[in-house]
Amino acid sequence: MNIAIIGCGTMGLTYAHNLGNMPGVQVSGVADLIQERADQAAAVSGAASYTNWEEMLEKERPETVAVCLPTYLHKTFVLSLAQRGLHVICEKPAALTVEDAKEMEEACSQHGVRLFIGHVVRFFPNYRNALEQVRSGTIGEAKMAHFKRCGSYPQGVDFWYHDRAKSGGIIMDLIIHDIDFACWMFGDVESVYASVTSPDLNGMEYAQVTMKFSSGAIANLTGFWGYAGPFTTQFEISGDGGIIRFDSNQVQSLDLKIASSGSGTEEAVQVPSSPVLHDPYYLEVQHFIECIREGSEPIVSAADACRAIEIALACEQSARTGQPVRMGGMTS
Amino acid sequence: MIKMKVGFISFAHMHAASYLHAMLGRSDVEVVGIADEDAERVAPFTTGKGISYYADYNELLAQDVDAVVICSENARHAELTLKAAEAGKHVLCEKPLGLSEEEMLGMIQVCRDRGVQLMTAFPCRYLTAVRQAKQAIDEGQIGEIVAMKGTNRGTMPGGWFIEKEHSGGGAVLDHTVHVMDLMHWFTGSVVEEVYAHAETLFHETDIDDAGMVHVKFANGVFAVLDPSWSRSSSFPTWGDVTLEVIGTKGSLSIDAFAQKNDLYSDAAGKANWSYWGDDMDTELVNSFVDRIIQGQPVLVTGEDGYRSARVGLAAYESARTGQPVQLRR
Repeated sequence: MNIAIIGCGTMGLTYAHNLGNMPGVQVSGVADLIQERADQAAAVSGAASYTNWEEMLEKERPETVAVCLPTYLHKTFVLSLAQRGLHVICEKPAALTVEDAKEMEEACSQHGVRLFIGHVVRFFPNYRNALEQVRSGTIGEAKMAHFKRCGSYPQGVDFWYHDRAKSGGIIMDLIIHDIDFACWMFGDVESVYASVTSPDLNGMEYAQVTMKFSSGAIANLTGFWGYAGPFTTQFEISGDGGIIRFDSNQVQSLDLKIASSGSGTEEAVQVPSSPVLHDPYYLEVQHFIECIREGSEPIVSAADACRAIEIALACEQSARTGQPVRMGGMTS
Repeated sequence: MIKMKVGFISFAHMHAASYLHAMLGRSDVEVVGIADEDAERVAPFTTGKGISYYADYNELLAQDVDAVVICSENARHAELTLKAAEAGKHVLCEKPLGLSEEEMLGMIQVCRDRGVQLMTAFPCRYLTAVRQAKQAIDEGQIGEIVAMKGTNRGTMPGGWFIEKEHSGGGAVLDHTVHVMDLMHWFTGSVVEEVYAHAETLFHETDIDDAGMVHVKFANGVFAVLDPSWSRSSSFPTWGDVTLEVIGTKGSLSIDAFAQKNDLYSDAAGKANWSYWGDDMDTELVNSFVDRIIQGQPVLVTGEDGYRSARVGLAAYESARTGQPVQLRR
């Protein structure tokens, strides 16, 4: 599999690293407007570095392209790649509107190429474990859930995350991870209600979302950009026969502590970690590549990605109007 | 030393035993008697303990008693508080204060008219972690509060708690008030809008055992609270009280019962949490007694009880209509 990457920010670099280490995959080219970033991605993947993505496609002739650009650029690039007959793995969220996401999906289908949206939470072993436990009935019937995701304020190039017109804001960019996962677990959504902090606040964005599912289940999701602690994810699913919960701060299977040298110039170092052989982003792209090779369906479809956007937009609407929003007839 | 004389009316709510224990721990308090129509229920606390039993609470109120602790079914809080106030007794009333706006305002008014104090039993105010959080917030350590998320999840209590004519409501009323009181206390503002779900999801019962309560405060802060009886019998403890407070310069997170040892007992057949933190019920009782003895206003008032209980009541209205409910000022 000859694959290229467009956009070498945090996500592009992660893709480069993972794809560079994946058997049977060759990263031929990586492109970014910023030369340094492209070079960095090239160094970890063994690819050629480009600042012109079109030149890269012409020279490297990849069959699949990973789009790791800011959200507002996804559609333009995906349409262009589809027209060239290239399979696309695109970062989440697929787009900022359902119309754009559907257009991307249709264009890919029309040109006979595959489109995958990187809803990576579905590939996290802790979330997968929870889903499997719930599906197997270990906690009875799942009735309520809480999901939490918080970290520092993201520093994309030109601070594009901070511009809600470019990133969609915290619900569309961050909480959408848990929206998608909650839909995977609980199915169709009946209504949503959400609150979000004012865009006037400096250096932080925080939101609360409650999803009511057709099954009767209720989930509350919170997201926080600007959290002063370590990146944290938590969830709890309660059923009528048990509870399953996870806290990323309580799963450190390795805790490395290095004493200070004593000279006072070097501080003691603490590095708690939760190491796994392959990070979930690796498992995700590996799965997508396998789907391309075998013509099989992915565990997260473009339709799932469209649904997540639709729900995130309904949450935005609820936060704006102060009213719950019903998701009438919206099913995948 | 002149002792403060205290009576108890009803042990329907199990907190009564804990409050009694705290009262008995004070040398400046004399527990005069316990009134309860169910003699059997209170026999372990009266028989041979030097505490008189009264089948009729009116007889207890006729005694030389300074204050009463009311731990009846929720539906009787108003009647018992009014009678106690009319007999000139200070009142420590179990939460929720009452089951309607009118009856709670009536309780507050009568106590005021009779010159007695009315304290709502919100022991969570007396958690050491909560008091330190309040101090950190007041000192501006996390800047201005912008949002909060709380949980007060529990185990389904059964008994009269799930009989609406006695309780007035299920989990949403039972478990909204504690953390809502902390939210009011921390913000110094009042809830003016409520949007909520109230459902029966976990148990074979007619009353709500699950909910999600969103509120908006007059000062712009928004918050959400999970009051569900969602703790399974396999869960290592009865429930939780948690509150995250998001500020402009930081955040803080309270997990009230995190001070525990993990206990694995073959006899129990499941993991358990053995709590070793400070006892909030004792601190609540101490505060009530100290303020009454000093002739100072109690620190958690009837108004506090009213402000939080009305959020629970509005939550039912919102759940019924599917719309946000505005609270009158």
